[in-house]
Amino acid sequence: MTGPRAGLTRRGLLASAAVLGVALPDVAQPGAARAETPKLFVFANSDRYDTLDPHQSFDVARVAVRLNLYDNLYRWEDNPPQLKPWLAESHTISADGLTYTFKLRSGAKFHDGAAVTADDVVYSVERLLGMGKGAAPLIGMMVEKGSTKSPDVATVVFTIKRPAAIFLSAIPELHIVNAELLRAKEVNGDWAGPWLSSNDAGSGAYMLDSFDPVGNFRAKRFPDHFVGWQGNHLDDVEFRAVLDTSTIVLGMTRGDYSGTDGYLPFEQIERLRRAPDVNILEAESMRLAAIQMNNSKSPFDDVHFRRAIAYAFDYDGMISGILHDSVVRNPVPIPNNCPGFPVGVTGYSFDLDKARAELKLAKSVPDRVYQIAFSSGQVTLQQQAEVLQNGLRQLGIKTELKVLPWASLQPLFRSAETSPDFFSTIISTYYPDPHNWIGEMYSSAAWGTFKSAAYYKNPEVDQLLAQGMASTDPEARWKIYAAAARIVLNDSPGIFIYNTKWFGPYAKNVAGVRFSPIGNGMEMRWASFA
Amino acid sequence: MKRLGVLAASRLLWLVPTLCGLVLLTFAIAHVIPADPAGLVAGDTATPEQVAKIRHNLGLDRPLGDQLAAYVAELVRGDLGTSLFTNRPIAEDLLNRLPATLELTGYAMLIAVLGGVPLGVVAGYRHGTVLDHLIRVGTVAGFAIASFWLALMLQLLFAMQLRWLPLAGRGGSGALVGPTGLRTVDTLLCGDLAGCVDALAHLALPALALALPIMATLVRFARAGMLDVLGGPSFAYQRAMGLPVRISLWRYALRHALVAVVTQAGLSFGVMLAGSVVIETIFDWPGVGNYAYESITHSDYPAVMGFVLWSGVAFIVIKFVIDVLLTLIDPRERAR
Repeated sequence: MTGPRAGLTRRGLLASAAVLGVALPDVAQPGAARAETPKLFVFANSDRYDTLDPHQSFDVARVAVRLNLYDNLYRWEDNPPQLKPWLAESHTISADGLTYTFKLRSGAKFHDGAAVTADDVVYSVERLLGMGKGAAPLIGMMVEKGSTKSPDVATVVFTIKRPAAIFLSAIPELHIVNAELLRAKEVNGDWAGPWLSSNDAGSGAYMLDSFDPVGNFRAKRFPDHFVGWQGNHLDDVEFRAVLDTSTIVLGMTRGDYSGTDGYLPFEQIERLRRAPDVNILEAESMRLAAIQMNNSKSPFDDVHFRRAIAYAFDYDGMISGILHDSVVRNPVPIPNNCPGFPVGVTGYSFDLDKARAELKLAKSVPDRVYQIAFSSGQVTLQQQAEVLQNGLRQLGIKTELKVLPWASLQPLFRSAETSPDFFSTIISTYYPDPHNWIGEMYSSAAWGTFKSAAYYKNPEVDQLLAQGMASTDPEARWKIYAAAARIVLNDSPGIFIYNTKWFGPYAKNVAGVRFSPIGNGMEMRWASFA
Repeated sequence: MKRLGVLAASRLLWLVPTLCGLVLLTFAIAHVIPADPAGLVAGDTATPEQVAKIRHNLGLDRPLGDQLAAYVAELVRGDLGTSLFTNRPIAEDLLNRLPATLELTGYAMLIAVLGGVPLGVVAGYRHGTVLDHLIRVGTVAGFAIASFWLALMLQLLFAMQLRWLPLAGRGGSGALVGPTGLRTVDTLLCGDLAGCVDALAHLALPALALALPIMATLVRFARAGMLDVLGGPSFAYQRAMGLPVRISLWRYALRHALVAVVTQAGLSFGVMLAGSVVIETIFDWPGVGNYAYESITHSDYPAVMGFVLWSGVAFIVIKFVIDVLLTLIDPRERAR
């Protein structure tokens, strides 16, 4: 689930907003009510489904493919996310924390009628790691190729490289594919990648009905899904790529779409609140907004300088003034609704006097223009960069905004030398565990990705985070992460701003949508037309 | 006919060096951009080692010369390569999107020509009158109005307020299956009149938004061409000989003015065939423009190069068609 999402809008968002700001109150009239309950649920997605292969994507933009066409051993459901047995009915962990044995439930079938077996799970692991895309970096961090075994048709044994508490949290990112079907479609050891990019080899609650290679797909309910079906459900769902924000808003208002993703700018959510046939569902999510500082460079290697900067950010201005309290203050690098959050911590506040006092203690002085980088097309990231720029200007620290397409920004994080001075970002829920945030942001063992743009190193924090990864006792882990968060906060390697809320626009005649930070409400098996 | 044969031969000869230049230029530009497709393919959380492995698998760690040679060898075999992101052959991706662009471009061109040429003729004939001024104001507006704003206004008026036309999309359900890929044609071939009307309804707003700026251009060229002819001795002679204005204007004067109009219309058509990112995005129109945009933002080098090659070939073909048309229209061309 990507943090920075490229291409949220493709063009003049501000211009669209300005235009719609005038026009939408007029078009959102009661006369726009739907005449009858539609049979087809159309989900407007702000990105294209350019591939249907569950092992080639790891982002929220295409999560509907993975959650609806495919199953996994365990699955995250609801909010706060609960890890529920799915294709596996149970698991055991060896005393040394290295061997995970999953027992598969009986009766689960793929869409072609074949039974889901342990061989399919092993093939899925090997395929994911062999292709090296999608969630392969996450799973490959713990699982070696060839190490997963299936002693019988209902048992899968993972032997991981070293104790990793996040293994179970990450296992839902392994989507199970039909091994027999794909083996038949393989050409020259390509793992049937080209074939699966346009076809279905899953066992999920919905099966592929049609795929339009330009980026849409239609799915119909899989009657034999192992969970079974009770009550009302959607029989046909179309996931349609609608790239333009204003078109999504107008289409929701008009009733062309039954739902859309939770990435609309807040002002567009406010417009949709006035549309008579649209409900805005709300939930606290787990997406942490922060601005990282490159701690490896002077003067950011001075803790007083970093604290001065943390005091120079106008948190209330950002949260209340710009985002109209649509988010909640989050003072540490763990979302405040995630286990491990250090209770009672308030964090930094906007206080220029304290900032100046810290600057006086700093050994280094600002001696150049510092760059605040962020990904293009990300209005909120630009806003938080501008808020920081304004605060620093009052301290006499000069900055410039550096907006780059994600394709150009991403390579910069691979080394401390090229990582930007400041990086405005939002870190999403790749897996709902504190390690997803503080672990990957501030463990020096995780350097090299956008999450670790700070290149922060504190041996004490490293040790705690390593303990957190090795421990299998959840309560002990939460205490370890809370302790690490307090140290990180004191060291101030970044500015921790807010945790987002999810605003999911759905047609009023849609019921049963269940939000989870993993999937953003796009798992359709719970939804129905009222 | 001999002239046409020579023209075709010379255009074909130019095709090879032009495409070679395009391939080299695009390859160079694509590799100069500071982006790492291997990193994007590997994912945001991939470690540098994992990214390096993907880069190796994709052959992106090989010397540029080797990469170029391998790419050209594939091209010679008629293979545009495989997209790094869709994992499908690029030719297949382009072919999937091409009918949508062709259909949109074709109808937009039809609107532009049918609207622009008569308006230009009338403005030229009535030059200096209120009607001429009104048309010129409209022309300036056509140039000045940003296409995304125009598209939004069309959506708000016709889709939201009046509800006469669909907001976005191409209509129909699921993937289009038909012999041509053009929804308006395929539905007719299947005897599905309602489907054809639906396809036309979905085409109306994006085609109009795309056509209006081109129409403004054609009005200006047609008007200028007409003024050129109407102020000359041939028009005065025809009038003195008692030839009706209608015939003099539409049969003789227009033919002269069409030389510039055809050239301009052809070039506009070529540009539109390369896709209109803004219009396609706003109207959720699944054409090649969007594909190019996404390929560029993903640093999907093979896809970008495939798109540029397609654009180059399309432009060369269009230029050839323009030359043929000009030869047919203009007797001076035939006499050369």
